[in-house]
Amino acid sequence: MSKWRLKFSKKGMGKYISHLDLLRTFTRAIHRANLPVRYSQGFNPHQLITFSLPLALGVTSETEFVDIDFEETASPREIGEALNKTLPPDIRILRISRPELSANDIVSARYEIDLSTSTTVEKATLEAFFAQENIPALKKTKKGEKEVNLRDFIVECEVSEVCGNKVKLNIVLSAGGSANIKPDIVLGKLALYLGFEEFEEMNIHRTEIFCSSGKEIKNFC
Amino acid sequence: MNSYKIKFEAALKRIQKPARYVGNEFNSVHKKNFLELVKFAFCFPDVYEVGMSHLGMKILYHMMNEREDTVCERVFAPWVDMEEEMRKDGIPLLSLESHVPVKEFDIVGFTLQYEMSYSNILNMLDLAEIPLKSAERKENDPFVCAGGPCAYNGEPIADIVDFFILGEGEEVNNEFLDVYKEWKAAGESRTEYLERIAKIEGIYVPAFYDVEYNADNTVKSVTPNREGVPSKIKKRIVKELDNSYVLDKMIVPFMDIVHDRITLEIFRGCIRGCRFCQAGYLYRPVREHSVDKLVETAQKLIDNTGYEEMSLSSLSTSDFTCLQELIDRLLPITVDKRINLSLPSLRVDNFSMELMEKVQTVKKSGLTFAPEAGTQRLRDVINKNVLEEDLLRTAGIAFDGGYNRIKLYFMIGLPTETMEDVEGIAELAEKVIGVFYQIPKEIRKGRSVTVTVSTSSFVPKPFTPFQWEPQDRMETLVEKQNFLKQRIKSRNISYNWHQSHTSFLEAVFAKGDRRLSKVLIAAQKKGCRFDGWDEHFSYEKWLEAFADCGIDPEFYAYRRIEHDEVLPWDHIDIGVSKSFLVKEHEKAYEEKTTPSCREGCAGCGAASFGGGVCFE
Repeated sequence: MSKWRLKFSKKGMGKYISHLDLLRTFTRAIHRANLPVRYSQGFNPHQLITFSLPLALGVTSETEFVDIDFEETASPREIGEALNKTLPPDIRILRISRPELSANDIVSARYEIDLSTSTTVEKATLEAFFAQENIPALKKTKKGEKEVNLRDFIVECEVSEVCGNKVKLNIVLSAGGSANIKPDIVLGKLALYLGFEEFEEMNIHRTEIFCSSGKEIKNFC
Repeated sequence: MNSYKIKFEAALKRIQKPARYVGNEFNSVHKKNFLELVKFAFCFPDVYEVGMSHLGMKILYHMMNEREDTVCERVFAPWVDMEEEMRKDGIPLLSLESHVPVKEFDIVGFTLQYEMSYSNILNMLDLAEIPLKSAERKENDPFVCAGGPCAYNGEPIADIVDFFILGEGEEVNNEFLDVYKEWKAAGESRTEYLERIAKIEGIYVPAFYDVEYNADNTVKSVTPNREGVPSKIKKRIVKELDNSYVLDKMIVPFMDIVHDRITLEIFRGCIRGCRFCQAGYLYRPVREHSVDKLVETAQKLIDNTGYEEMSLSSLSTSDFTCLQELIDRLLPITVDKRINLSLPSLRVDNFSMELMEKVQTVKKSGLTFAPEAGTQRLRDVINKNVLEEDLLRTAGIAFDGGYNRIKLYFMIGLPTETMEDVEGIAELAEKVIGVFYQIPKEIRKGRSVTVTVSTSSFVPKPFTPFQWEPQDRMETLVEKQNFLKQRIKSRNISYNWHQSHTSFLEAVFAKGDRRLSKVLIAAQKKGCRFDGWDEHFSYEKWLEAFADCGIDPEFYAYRRIEHDEVLPWDHIDIGVSKSFLVKEHEKAYEEKTTPSCREGCAGCGAASFGGGVCFE
């Protein structure tokens, strides 16, 4: 087996690298590093690279994963050191290991969110938003837009801190193949609920990815 | 953090493609001691994806950043959604690397690639809060300079630009940066800096020249208005390409750009002398890189970028003297790393399938050729020395080799053109189709063939033998396009054509004088920008701007000029003599061709630079 799972962070302005651009960025960084990557067979061969869970544009993360097929000769230490030289500084390889869990079993992800609003908000109002039984919203799908209940996608929610017009949230949202929601849809609805068109500032940071393993929920690795 | 930076970051979340504005790409240069350096803002008056595809910018960016005393940062025109946010929130135009307001730079330089980007230059200056007119800039404002092909007749923006750089920037840029430091240390006035650099060969300060006009609106004279400035400004070139700055790294963008690949420049200039082609005269004489240098540079570019494609760049790839040797030596270093080598700008008279087989190892898509005119007579008039047999032979070779899509580029509205010549375009395309069906069915690859015919409208350009020619009126161009549409019968041919309004304005600004500066200012105020983009181009606004300024655009585009008239660009010397251009113009009407520089010197005058093909 030659597949390695690379855990990496995506910070700073790196949050504006879209999912498609990220693939190109890795491909070229691997090329520059002269690493023995494996290619697909067929008419138009490409490097064997698979990201575990796409990250929405504008979101930072300390826990992203990409699986890359290398020839046996490449050691994880070499791969990590070489890539950290050829990747842009906003993307850092943190750890390299053999894949343990399948990306198909990813169920949710945790986000730390910092918001600021134009006027003061109350913690109780924020909690009331999450306490609603039904939060209708339009979700984009491949076939168009679909109405969903956001509550079904919110696994955990904690209003960690409210100080004047600054709010800190810690939420776990459904993610992965079977049910997935982008955090900005939830935050858009929250803003409207609080009576704002949009938040003044909004920083979303992904800190954990979870997957189901048997009956357990584990950190993805 | 500065307040504009907070607003800038907030705006990024509301707009499309934020990657256009954030920078930080691999190989971009970030200097820590920014404030202590000479700060040069390199502005490309179009959106990021277009600007980042331009080779000249990449060369000068890295070259200037190699100087320890200078920092060069990039600036692109914000797309309309970002502009709206910037104007709403009062965010000034920022550089891409440090996100510093452009007006805090010492020198703001624009590259002039096409006339239709002029409105973007003004709009960018406006967004940067820099006064549009050079006369209105104060001691603390940056200097605004401009270079690139349109700078040779930069008169339409003469009131806006403080100085022009004529020719290749590899040497001149270093000279005006050196002088900037001396001037700064001396604590002199703005005008004194311009007086200092006006002495550098290749620098043109338009404010130091007075233009007088005749009663019929033609130019009477252009004369220096002070001591120490030349009456004629000569362009600068790099005599030996191998010995000058050679680009061996490139910024690798995150987002997809128009030309997202390594560009390996193999030579400058063109030996051909097509009479409509401005580049063919501006970049004389032809100068080549050595194969050794190219192979060495290619290896560095591959290592430094990680790109999966490399394209050879020049005005006419197949005219490179050692093309076969170059490709034979490039293939070993590209194939191993799965890099595709592509060869654009091929001519039909020296095309070989063997060459194509070697380079197109993976993708067999389409081939593009540019016969430019539909009949031999007209091709002789324009000196496009391509025969119908050459095209048909080449098409046959390509079809045999498995291609089944060919693109053909033509121009309509060329001098002396008749409807017969227009019809010739349709006939030529039909003949190419015929070549495909002559191949026995069993051997033919692919079931059918597609020929795409594209026509652009001829725009007479300064410094060409056709600079005295009037452009066809828009009605005539549309009539010719419609005629051609009717004449194309085969369903295997598809036809694309160009908007004639844009071609008209292109002619006006290509051959314009400095009275057009006020039209540009009026047009910018009316909201003109991104004129090269059909969805943003408003012909009505332009007409209003001309009318408001009391200027008739047709005077510039539709008037036949006599050989003895003073041209607005006569004080600029590109090394090709006016008498040579007159001779070529006359030969066009005699339907006589001129051989290429390698077949025999036609005595254009470019030998005065003392290098290149003139001394091979």
